[in-house]
Amino acid sequence: MAERSLLNQLIDALRCLPGVGPKSAQRIAFHLLDHDREGGRRLAVVLGDAMERINRCARCRTLSEQALCALCANPNRDPSLLCIVENPAEIVAIEQATGFRGLYFVLGGRLSPLDGLGPAQLGLDVLEARFREGGLAELILAVSATVEGIATSNYIAEQAARHGVRVTRIAHGVPLGGELEHVDGGTLAHAFAGRHAI
Amino acid sequence: MHSRDRLEQAFVLHRRDYSNTSLLIEVFSATQGRFPAIAKGAKRGRAPTAVLLQPFTPLWLSWSGRGEVRTLARAEAAGGALTLPGKALFCGFYLNELLMRLLGRHDPQEDLFAFYHAALTRLALGDDLDGPLRQFELRLLQDTGYALDLEQEWDTGEPVVAGRSYVHEPERGMRAASGVDEGLTVAGATLLALAAGEPLAGTAAREARGLMRAALAPYLGPRPLKSRELFQQSGGASTAPPLHEGD
Repeated sequence: MAERSLLNQLIDALRCLPGVGPKSAQRIAFHLLDHDREGGRRLAVVLGDAMERINRCARCRTLSEQALCALCANPNRDPSLLCIVENPAEIVAIEQATGFRGLYFVLGGRLSPLDGLGPAQLGLDVLEARFREGGLAELILAVSATVEGIATSNYIAEQAARHGVRVTRIAHGVPLGGELEHVDGGTLAHAFAGRHAI
Repeated sequence: MHSRDRLEQAFVLHRRDYSNTSLLIEVFSATQGRFPAIAKGAKRGRAPTAVLLQPFTPLWLSWSGRGEVRTLARAEAAGGALTLPGKALFCGFYLNELLMRLLGRHDPQEDLFAFYHAALTRLALGDDLDGPLRQFELRLLQDTGYALDLEQEWDTGEPVVAGRSYVHEPERGMRAASGVDEGLTVAGATLLALAAGEPLAGTAAREARGLMRAALAPYLGPRPLKSRELFQQSGGASTAPPLHEGD
């Protein structure tokens, strides 16, 4: 049996990227080999380093090359506010859009028994340790408004209640610039239930 | 054959992302049973269908295709989503996990579908979680061909009486407990109450829980049910967890 050529191996390897099929993988491989060897080399080095050295922050489980991520290590952040998110990408979004000055905790998903994701897979034991340390004034749940997200919120809220920590959830409702008639019934019901005085 | 224009009553049991904008959903429909379907572009647009395609939302769905995986054509809400409060939501996941494990694909189960809808409606009330779960477990065994007779001894055919103790034998049924039987015995009164769908509390509720766990075990396969974990770990000393404790 003939050994697979290096080119084929490269095309195959590129297909692990999200949204990249055989066609795109081939295009990327040819582009790097024909036009951008320097970029390709840099990618190879950085990718190799990143895969070896980036791990999870011991406190908040976000991706970090240090044992403690930059946010957790920052003394100017308020350690009594803890915002729970599903993925590291959401930290970036919240940091850019809001003036939140507290810390984060990354679940890496949501409780979904049918996918085999239970409390242990979401690092809720790490969160439990965080509760025991004390010093938390408010826990902010910023998880998806899906059934699994609500289950996750319920579970964590119960956990927090045992430690006497106040729990809040970010609001669900009509998007800014959105027109009511195009908002689905469920969202509208939430928006109505969560109305407040102006 | 199913027409893509005909809307059928259905629930989504489970969903997962499929490419950037689509979903792969597991449908439980009244007329066609459980089957997977692709909801193309469900997460796209101004009013994405992904909002609707969630567990515990009564739906009208239509689909096309003949293969194992169907293609979703339309989805409309059939009334509002059933809001399962707190632990009732974990119970809902448990029902879905049971259906995924015990129900074969493309096996029509109209009665079970109605029973599932009713069980969710009762769970949504949030006051009694044990009752709907036990009744659903019994019904699921019955409708999948593994009925458990609670009112008759399997070996002698004698009727179960309230004053005696009974032992469950896997894949057979109940028999009268003898002096040497240790471990799990169930009071006849509990069996009769369970069969009649009466509310159970305290010891009776615990017995019924253990019994149904043992009765389901042979059909669930070796992997433990993940939704049970949610109860084992979420403490709550105030009320007994409605699912089974420990392994």
